Amino acid sequence: MNSSHNRRPAHWSVAGGSTALLAAMLGLASPASAESTDPIKLTLNDWTGQHISATIMGKVLESKGLSVEYVQADYIAQFAGLASGDLDVAMEIWDTTAKQLVADGVATGKIEDLGGTGMKAREEWWYPSYMKERCPGLPDWTALKSCAEAFSTPETAPKGRYVGGPVAWGGNDEERIAALGLDFEVVHPGTDSIIFAELESAYQRKAPIMIWGYEPHWLNAKYKGEFVEFPPYAPECYTDPAWGINPDATYDCGKPTGMIRKVAWSGVKEQWPTAYDAIKNFQISNAEMSEMVSRVDLKGEDLNTVVDGWIAANSAVWQKW
Amino acid sequence: MQRAALSKPLPAAFWLALAALSLSLAFYAKPLGEALSLEWLVDYPKLWIVPIQSQISAAMHWLIDEASFGLFTLREALRFLSGLMEVPMNLAIEGLATGLLSGTGSRAVEIFPPLSWIAVTVIFAATGHYAKGWALAFVQLACFLYLALFGQWHSAMLTLASIAVTLPFGVAVGLALGIACHTWSGFDRFMRPVLDLMQTVPVFAYLVPILFMFGFGPVSAMIATIIYALPPMIHNTTLALKAVPDELREFGTMVGCTPSQMMRKILLPSALSGLMVGVNQVIMSSLNMVIIASMIGAGGLGYDVLFSLRRLDIGAGMEAGLAIVVLAIALDRLSQALATRHPPARKTTSRAFPLNYPRSFLCVAVIAATWIGGNWIEALQTFPEGWQISTRQYWGELVKAINLNFYDQLEAVKLFFLATLLLPVKGFMLGLPWAWVIGLIALGGYKLGGWRLALLGTMLFGFILLTGQWDYAMISLYLCGVSVLLAILIGAPLGILAAEVKGFSRVMRVAVDTLQTLPTFVYLIPVVMLFNSGDFSALIAVTLYAVVPVIRYTAHGLDQVSPNLIEAGKMIGCSKWQILTKIKLPLAAPHMMLGLSQTIMFALSMLVITALVGTRDLGQQVYTALSQADPGLGLIAGLSVAFIAIVTDRFAAVAAKWLTAGG
Amino acid sequence: MKPAVTKLACRNIWKVFGPGGDRFLRGAAKAPSRDAFTRAGLIVAAEDISLDVIAGQILVIMGLSGSGKSTLVRLMSRLIEPSSGELIFEGKDLRKASEKELIEIRRHKMGMVFQSFALLPHRTVLGNVAFPLEVQGVGKAVHEEKAQEIIRLVGLAGRENCYPRELSGGQQQRVGIARSLISDPHIWFLDEPFSALDPIIRREMQDEFLRLQSEFQKTIVFITHDFEEAIRLADRVAIMKDGRIVQIGTPEELVLAPADDYVRQFTKHVVRAKVVSVRAIMTAPGPDAAYAGSVKATDHIEDIADAVEKAALPFAVQDENGRIIGAVGRRNIVDVLIGREQS
Repeated sequence: MNSSHNRRPAHWSVAGGSTALLAAMLGLASPASAESTDPIKLTLNDWTGQHISATIMGKVLESKGLSVEYVQADYIAQFAGLASGDLDVAMEIWDTTAKQLVADGVATGKIEDLGGTGMKAREEWWYPSYMKERCPGLPDWTALKSCAEAFSTPETAPKGRYVGGPVAWGGNDEERIAALGLDFEVVHPGTDSIIFAELESAYQRKAPIMIWGYEPHWLNAKYKGEFVEFPPYAPECYTDPAWGINPDATYDCGKPTGMIRKVAWSGVKEQWPTAYDAIKNFQISNAEMSEMVSRVDLKGEDLNTVVDGWIAANSAVWQKW
Repeated sequence: MQRAALSKPLPAAFWLALAALSLSLAFYAKPLGEALSLEWLVDYPKLWIVPIQSQISAAMHWLIDEASFGLFTLREALRFLSGLMEVPMNLAIEGLATGLLSGTGSRAVEIFPPLSWIAVTVIFAATGHYAKGWALAFVQLACFLYLALFGQWHSAMLTLASIAVTLPFGVAVGLALGIACHTWSGFDRFMRPVLDLMQTVPVFAYLVPILFMFGFGPVSAMIATIIYALPPMIHNTTLALKAVPDELREFGTMVGCTPSQMMRKILLPSALSGLMVGVNQVIMSSLNMVIIASMIGAGGLGYDVLFSLRRLDIGAGMEAGLAIVVLAIALDRLSQALATRHPPARKTTSRAFPLNYPRSFLCVAVIAATWIGGNWIEALQTFPEGWQISTRQYWGELVKAINLNFYDQLEAVKLFFLATLLLPVKGFMLGLPWAWVIGLIALGGYKLGGWRLALLGTMLFGFILLTGQWDYAMISLYLCGVSVLLAILIGAPLGILAAEVKGFSRVMRVAVDTLQTLPTFVYLIPVVMLFNSGDFSALIAVTLYAVVPVIRYTAHGLDQVSPNLIEAGKMIGCSKWQILTKIKLPLAAPHMMLGLSQTIMFALSMLVITALVGTRDLGQQVYTALSQADPGLGLIAGLSVAFIAIVTDRFAAVAAKWLTAGG
Repeated sequence: MKPAVTKLACRNIWKVFGPGGDRFLRGAAKAPSRDAFTRAGLIVAAEDISLDVIAGQILVIMGLSGSGKSTLVRLMSRLIEPSSGELIFEGKDLRKASEKELIEIRRHKMGMVFQSFALLPHRTVLGNVAFPLEVQGVGKAVHEEKAQEIIRLVGLAGRENCYPRELSGGQQQRVGIARSLISDPHIWFLDEPFSALDPIIRREMQDEFLRLQSEFQKTIVFITHDFEEAIRLADRVAIMKDGRIVQIGTPEELVLAPADDYVRQFTKHVVRAKVVSVRAIMTAPGPDAAYAGSVKATDHIEDIADAVEKAALPFAVQDENGRIIGAVGRRNIVDVLIGREQS
């Protein structure tokens, strides 16, 4: 049953299995180089930017005569599907949140890293502009040394309150606070929706807030605000205490930027060689993405229309993929 | 004799002394431990943690990747199974949502449209009429029109399709296992702890293994849903079979029924209404799982909720969430009516063929008419977008208005609760030395329920300790404990109102159904906006959910009090208040006690949600495990949740027995 | 009179409830005392019961609640497994029957009526009555026809398509009776069939029952807690107390010679004239006495009292062959009525 002619050994439905068996018996092997007519399954995670990336990719693949299917999937859970070949391509995997999952998957040989999307994930402490008045000197981080209390709530006072990311994101913010001698307390919500709910609430009241912000996202389109400027990241900062302004501590710097990658099931290359190349070549910039995201999320435009607009305007770009 | 042993009074002073000792230990154990260099008795040393986590992960990988029956691997077998289940699942999805497709992916061509919105609505209304008459037909009509009107139709049909397949499958498996439990007491004893685990281990803890085994897609979602929804079906099956009157059983024997005839012709038909209670619970549990199912490929309303809230579109999330509630209410009322429906006396039919089945005829006619007519008039097939209405912007504005105008007052309430209740209890729980807690469990277990309970409690909490989950478990216990307490304080009066005040019970029922099926995520975002993330928001979320069984069981318990006793009370000259406090409440107490164990289960099942607002409990461990693809940690944390549930459930059961025996 | 044939015989039947009850009983050399059982945490539901159910007769087992009468009827039908003893049914030991044989015996030779009717709620009257035949695998056409016939017989014609909940209690029990008779059983168990009914209906059902019995001549074991019902219906009555049979006899024997005070409590209030037969009170016939007329020895006092009272002379008492075997006069009747010992 598990013959080499079964194109997707991991996934055999009843019909698929028997067809493969039949093909094997009759010796009707389909030539390995030909593009499969099976649909390529692109995942849709639960944020707009990712939908846009996936839809652009899908439309490009369709224009190359390939069949595409979109599957709604959880960002984390989709790795299981990619490893087993139930899902084929995930268009936005952020180094900042899923580096380990990618590394693990690549190590098993079941997942292939198809390189960056051209977008760079930036993550850092972020505050709304009105906080600048209450803490002069921002965005430079040293300003925070003297006005942590401006970011406090009754629960944390006199310490400032910093709404960090989910524990699983890492981030080393506790260490950063200690290394830089800041007087902040970190809260770890379980998901980023909660971070932005906190921001929305504070923003409505013009109340103090400091969050873990990131780009590309509608954050900077919807709210006025900016990232704190910490000492720039360098790999030694995270490993060598002597590096940086605090000679006795690591993490005395800002966060690294991360690639946003395309990740695929390792069988994609063999099954859809054309698609494989196109996905590998997919590139888009932070600016383009942010613009599209805010049109969809903030202006309420239809996602398909926005994507069609990009496709029409950039045919020279994607034709080469 | 039994009872005498049970009700031998333990001196109250004994328990008081224990409580006082615990209290002082919670505060002074740390310095005391340091002074006597017995810190290891207070904080369990990290070095002693048994590293079974990685072994579990390795075993899981082996099971998924390598385990083989010779000719084929375990995974291949499971994949074959999921291939089989995919067939009805695809049919249901195509029939209700996407239409019959030829080809796959973007090459797919619709060769037959799905059932039109009119047809689905008419089918449900007709079934409602068949089950309970016009009132229910109207409820069904209203529910499905809501889905169409608010633009939730397509997603709702996807969700309905997965329930339509999950339900018969879950019911069949539950029925079979329930019958097996009923028939073989050995199997029953084996299944009991298994069912407890199925109900209490958070789904996230085994989500990834399921995805590996059954593939990414609706089938996996269905398996996860079934694992969660099965226990109530099995429980209700055994209960319903047990409740069949002895005489009917004896009658079956005297007529010479074989065991299979007895089951098919006597026990199952007689237990039907009890079985339908189980079916009803499967429906409700499936709807509870809609969000998680959508994360692993089921799509539908759950996905809409997640997607909207990711954009902080509270209104859209609320509308999709309410669509889940509406679907739940429609299916719940329908299944309950079908369960209690009495077949009317058969009449010899004199009418011509289509007219003696008017409802079926109507349905077929509408399906055909909308299908044919849909070719020319699109509105017959899909509800026109122009007719849809939306309230989504108002929800966001409502929250904003509250946020702007009442934030300070809300903040004051929050701080009050934090200072007087949450923080002290948390400090107490975390301050208690582990050795003391385990000792208390052993002692309390022994005094209340004998050495078996003591052993069970010690072993299960021992597991939590040895695997290094102790502090997380204590925070979980603290959050759930306070929430359960609050849920009782709020829920019991509401339950009494629902039972006592006419008209209120109907309102209450809708409210309770809403609380149970509205995805927590939908109201968690506004809660966080008003109270920030932290323990207080977690407390609100858990309490809102745990209050459901409190209200239900209180109202139900009061309803069950025999009217004779109430009449007797009236004739003695009791006031309404006296009847309530002196007759009804004491008699309803055992029933309400049953509700307590359900309340604890409900509260613990919310731990995963509390982790979203930043509590450092077992739920957070489960999440972290999920995002780090660490099935070992996931399973350990999940089992820890389940073990807390099991131990508290057993203790509550014994305590309830004590209370009712003493009172 | 036909010779008495024993249909079902209980021989030293014991039933002990409680963990290890059977072993406790088997281990004892001779029957342990009640105290011994109690000390072992066991409950004796049937103690050394021996009785014969005679073919064509009604044996009523009468006792108060908790006396073990319902257990006894279940022991007789092996619904409950006896702890020890023999059950001879039509010459074979029922306790040695295999599960399969037992199913066959129950399908074709036993019928049972239950106190709470035990009707299947999801089936119509017709469906309930035909159920035993359906279980036996008899074809639908045959069992429906037979069911119709027996439904008519119990007076429910026209209600075939009703569901049990649409019927009154009396009607429901008629369904139960019809259902238990449809496979023409050799022995018919009735477990307090009329206890759940109102007094008037109960009486009506008793009449109905006697009518059916005169038609079918079944061998019957009838359980009741109502002594009046017992003596009204019974050929013989067995009185139970605490799992023991206190006395077995014809109603007349019980009334005239109660075995102990317990039995006497029941018989005390019985209208004796209805129970006592002429044979029991007649005096020896005089050598050449003059008679006002003749009565049968089996007649109940009630039936002849008027005639005897009006006549100055005694009546001659004849046996079934018409031979004069005694005489009965006013005084004998008055003795019975006021409960005076026969002089």
